[in-house]
Amino acid sequence: MNAEDEIREELETHLRAAIAERMAHGESREDAERAARREFGNLTHVSEVTREQTYGAIGIWLERLAQDVRYGLRALRRTPAFTITAVATLAIAIGANSAVFTVVNGVLLRPLPFVDADRLVLASYLPPDLPFEPPPGLADRNWLAYREHQHSFSAVGAYVRRAATLSGAGDAFRLTGARVEPGVFAALQVPPIRGRTFSREERDVDNVVVLSSRLWHERFGSDPRVLESSISLDGVPMTVIGVMPPGFGFPAESDFWTPLTVQLNAHNSFILSVLGRLRPAVTAEQARAELAVIMAQMPPDPKDPETKAEANMLPLKDVLTGRVAGSLYIFAGAVAFVLLIACVNVANLLLIRAASRRREMAVRVALGAGRGRIARQLLTESSIVGLAGGALGIVIAQVGVRALLAIAPAGRIPRLDEVHLDGWVLAFTIAVSLVTGVAFGLVPAIQGGRRPPREAMAHGTRTVGGATTRLRGALVAAEVALALVLLTGAGLMIKSFIRMRAADKGYDGSQVMTMAVDLPSLGYPDATRQKAFHARLMDGLAHIPGVRGIGAISWRPMGGVGMMGDFVVEGPSPVPHGFGLDKTLVSIGYFATMKVRLDAGRDFSVGDVAGAPKVVIVSRSVANRVWPGQDAIGKRVSMETDHPGSDSWMTVIGVVNDVVQDRSMEKHATMYFPIQQSDWGFILGHMTYVVRTSADATTARAMRAVLRDVDPTVPAQQLMSMDDALMDVAAEPVFQTRLLSVFAAIALLLAAIGTYGVLAYDVAERTREIALRMALGATPANVVAMVMRRTILLAASGAAVGLFGALALTGVLTKSLYDVSPNDPATMLVVVLAIVGVALLAGFAPARRASRVHVLTAFLAD
Amino acid sequence: MPRSGLTRLELLQGTLDMIVLQTLRWGPRHGYGIAQMVKANSANALQVDTGSLYPALHRLERQKLIVAEWDTSENGQRVRVYKLTAAGRRHLVSEKSRWEQLTNAIAAILTEPAEGET
Repeated sequence: MNAEDEIREELETHLRAAIAERMAHGESREDAERAARREFGNLTHVSEVTREQTYGAIGIWLERLAQDVRYGLRALRRTPAFTITAVATLAIAIGANSAVFTVVNGVLLRPLPFVDADRLVLASYLPPDLPFEPPPGLADRNWLAYREHQHSFSAVGAYVRRAATLSGAGDAFRLTGARVEPGVFAALQVPPIRGRTFSREERDVDNVVVLSSRLWHERFGSDPRVLESSISLDGVPMTVIGVMPPGFGFPAESDFWTPLTVQLNAHNSFILSVLGRLRPAVTAEQARAELAVIMAQMPPDPKDPETKAEANMLPLKDVLTGRVAGSLYIFAGAVAFVLLIACVNVANLLLIRAASRRREMAVRVALGAGRGRIARQLLTESSIVGLAGGALGIVIAQVGVRALLAIAPAGRIPRLDEVHLDGWVLAFTIAVSLVTGVAFGLVPAIQGGRRPPREAMAHGTRTVGGATTRLRGALVAAEVALALVLLTGAGLMIKSFIRMRAADKGYDGSQVMTMAVDLPSLGYPDATRQKAFHARLMDGLAHIPGVRGIGAISWRPMGGVGMMGDFVVEGPSPVPHGFGLDKTLVSIGYFATMKVRLDAGRDFSVGDVAGAPKVVIVSRSVANRVWPGQDAIGKRVSMETDHPGSDSWMTVIGVVNDVVQDRSMEKHATMYFPIQQSDWGFILGHMTYVVRTSADATTARAMRAVLRDVDPTVPAQQLMSMDDALMDVAAEPVFQTRLLSVFAAIALLLAAIGTYGVLAYDVAERTREIALRMALGATPANVVAMVMRRTILLAASGAAVGLFGALALTGVLTKSLYDVSPNDPATMLVVVLAIVGVALLAGFAPARRASRVHVLTAFLAD
Repeated sequence: MPRSGLTRLELLQGTLDMIVLQTLRWGPRHGYGIAQMVKANSANALQVDTGSLYPALHRLERQKLIVAEWDTSENGQRVRVYKLTAAGRRHLVSEKSRWEQLTNAIAAILTEPAEGET
């Protein structure tokens, strides 16, 4: 027997004794009972206040909670349809939130996997207004001075990313890695799992290399004998001196590291990334000030004395994750909207449920349960629903994270290997479950506590609660508004994407396959041998069955890379100040294959060989900027900007369309040089081929085979269609579009379900009234119109509020949108029509049901 | 909710505990018995509200000033009987002396001005 029953028994004994005594004094049983009960007071209440003394405050609270939970579970079991719908709705919404949070947590929130990772910063001293956005870093001459004089770091080192071709270990393969100074490993404080990292004395010419654990495992079978043996990178034998631990790929997905030796070069300056570990007592701001002081003592750059640079110390984590942070926070916001809609839906379900439980609640009030008690009971039930949804949501989140990472653009999200379920994700989910449970349970709880019991007892379930009906309407409008905001976001992204695909890019990439190669300098030391390679390869590609055109280009459109430079023109008018252009090598046939239109003049031809007069083709905007109002054909240009030699002049023979080069979709001013006449070995060492064909897959295999025949040590890179190349540069917007669309679809579905649910309940609640109206002459059409009017009213008011929300919020997408304003009226119109349309669909079934109400219903008992 | 058992004289805060302990000095008793005895001993002037009495009994029990056990009454019913403990007895003595000090002090205040008025 538990304490509650004991107290109850004790109190009943008291009551019986009182009755017995009154009867002993001659009162009738009825009189005695009535008087004794009045004297005793409310038995439930006395029992409760007594119990509080038995256990103390916390004990009673726990006991009541257990009781509420027991009662709540029983109540939820009685209404399985409600429980399943509510739990499933929440599970989807909480699951989606937990999935996004798992990624946000792994990528943005969790500290980097280094000792005291918040002490790691990147030093930067760069002009703030460069035409391109370089990663933070220092020019080499600045770095040498700074490395000499700085006292802020306990360890510091420069690094640059590099790529190299690994041969002799399976198929030739292009790897990304980094050149690093020993200070980088020292700053990161990550020791190798095998061998060692570089010593201070080791230089790049020592040909030593440290491998990633992944490369060691995948290409060398984790064979310890690889250490101190040699592997071939770009054809150069390199001694493996160490292997880094699994998961280490600094700065991002690196598979090998070679020593960086910084040497000043008279002609070129390089920007180096600089990683340092702050000394224990030094703040990032102090380090920044020191960098600024040291840099101020440097003599000004002789080439560009006007340049003003800014000193900065950037937390390593911000630099590694900065690019995706914006996207991830947008996702987090969008998915929170889905959760809000789910909450609104469940709140509505609870309101409807509360209406049908009015009698039950009234009975409990009459039995002495306080209003607070009833409210708490309802909150307990909604919290149970929330937690059940959360438990299921964790499962959904695990699937969701995998789906999310599957559609995420490869290589664009850093730290993906750190994305997994952990204590924080669990805590987040539990917190979200509880908060949602309380949030959507609050409204019905307040309503439930307020209902006057006598009225409820008398009217049972048929009370027409005007206030409740209005509240349900407002909730439906709210979810329509929330769904509209998400739909607008998705709509804008989709429109932007369609526009980007349809945009005139200056070339026609459909049915074009592309492949890039890097020629190792060991096997191809000069332009002659590089050009011989290109000629052999292009000959092979041209003989692939089905190939209708072939060309080569140093940096293809959508490759994300290019070489910018300046030039001089013959004659009095100079090149406009600050006008730079892309310098690109192309083969004969490139323009025809990519369908880049020739505006004037002629294409390169077989006559334009070395020794023949040097020729160039310029793009339309070059002609317009440099020779406005004149014919560009026949004009002469030179790349030797200081003192052009007499043999450096090149004649413009043609003008072609401008071509877009990256996802900004901006047309680039470009100057094209024929490969045959070029001796720029550093450009000829990298080449991209384009092949016009109708059979993508078989052509890709054939292209790879041709390359293997020409040189098996040169790996094929970026072998894909030009359409895929476009998708590749647009990977992030595509990812955002897909994810937002999924969230918007869920939101729309939930809003539709919510609208349907409320209207269906309205109709059910008003059956008798509708029947009466029909008895008084209303036609079914009138009844349908009545329900649909309410639907339109709810949807339209929701849409109006949602429009304001969308106008306020879609600005966060500005960066991701191409050629679409965040407040694009056409998108907004379509979205409003769509959401009102869906609401009408949702309202139609209840309306039809209403029109079929039998007149007799009005006169039948409930 | 009707509060039927209102005290005809308002009990001072804390005095109920003392009264209950005092009542139990004459032997173990169940809740109803205590209520009846208080009523009788105060010549019907005090009527103890059950909503105060039972919480007081359980509070005193938690403080180990009284103990309770289930017993069978003369007419065969299970009743919960309370008994004073040694600690309760000591507590009652000190409470009573505090009470006397208090009532004496109040009485002194209430009677003194009458002398000064003349």
